[in-house]
Amino acid sequence: MWLPVLGLVIGITLGLLTDMSVPHEYQNYLSIAVLAALDTLIGGIRAQLQNLFNEKIFVSGFFFNIILAASLAFLGVHLGVDLYLAAVFAFGVRLFQNIAVIRRILLTKWDQKRKNEKES
Amino acid sequence: MFFLITILAGFMLAIQFNTTHQENNLADDTSDLWELRQQYLSEKELETYFHQQIRQSEDKIAQYETERHNRNGQVLQDTLNELKKEAGLKEISGPGIILSITPAYEYITPGQSKVYISPDVLRKLINELNMYGAKAISIADQRIISTTTIRNIQGETKVDGYPLRKFPLEIKIIANDHETVKKLYNQMQISTVPDDFFIDNLKVSISEPQEEIIIPAYSSSVSVNHMQTVKEERK
Repeated sequence: MWLPVLGLVIGITLGLLTDMSVPHEYQNYLSIAVLAALDTLIGGIRAQLQNLFNEKIFVSGFFFNIILAASLAFLGVHLGVDLYLAAVFAFGVRLFQNIAVIRRILLTKWDQKRKNEKES
Repeated sequence: MFFLITILAGFMLAIQFNTTHQENNLADDTSDLWELRQQYLSEKELETYFHQQIRQSEDKIAQYETERHNRNGQVLQDTLNELKKEAGLKEISGPGIILSITPAYEYITPGQSKVYISPDVLRKLINELNMYGAKAISIADQRIISTTTIRNIQGETKVDGYPLRKFPLEIKIIANDHETVKKLYNQMQISTVPDDFFIDNLKVSISEPQEEIIIPAYSSSVSVNHMQTVKEERK
């Protein structure tokens, strides 16, 4: 469980240390990609808690979502329609849903633990 | 795998953070009016300096330009050289091919003393070469120019008075560029001129296109007999 958190911390430090930045015109793409990545990560955590986690689905979903979101944003820029909003909306909704599911699972687990402690 | 992906996600997050942060820094530029004015002034000075530089350079160009106009002699000399080159009075080099003509000894009956090169066939060859884009031609290192004569004098074929006796007889041809040379080469492969030479027991071999061939200048002076300068028309 701690390994992913460690990875996240390492990634953030690396990113901050390299002091890299993206040109302004590509910022949309990056923000969408970050959103997709976050969505996939949270989805992965939920699947883990529900014992549905499959590494193949997770990895493919991570990259596929990022690419899809970026290409949607790209298409939007070229069509003059803010299509990236669609991606933002979809990912945002899913983020909230996933986090809600995680919260419920954690709450039920916690409740069960307390019950078990009382009984014993 | 999960670990790597979390690293990647973290990295992306951090870059996004960096990017937005830098933009904020730019927007947070709170230098006051006087500082801005100062900055503007120094940039303006720089602009003036550059304008000065440009003007100086332009003056120089104009100066050179007038000098060039005043030195008409140089231009004339250049034109003369160009014309000389075109007329064949200058040595020239370039890509081309070499035809070498050798007697076909196996067909020459013993006792037949001389190999005869027909001036007609030579002229036909030169016409054909010119047709396919030859820029300069020499026969046995004799430059062919527009007034060159190829004649049979006393049983000997002569190019501008120079007898063609030595074999193999080399005909050098230069063209403007490699493409033309290639075209020339191909045309020579299918030309009927070698057959015409073969009737006189001569074999023609055509060299592959070559990078650099030197053709000498026309050796004697060009005599212009039937030309007159055009009197300038009055306007």
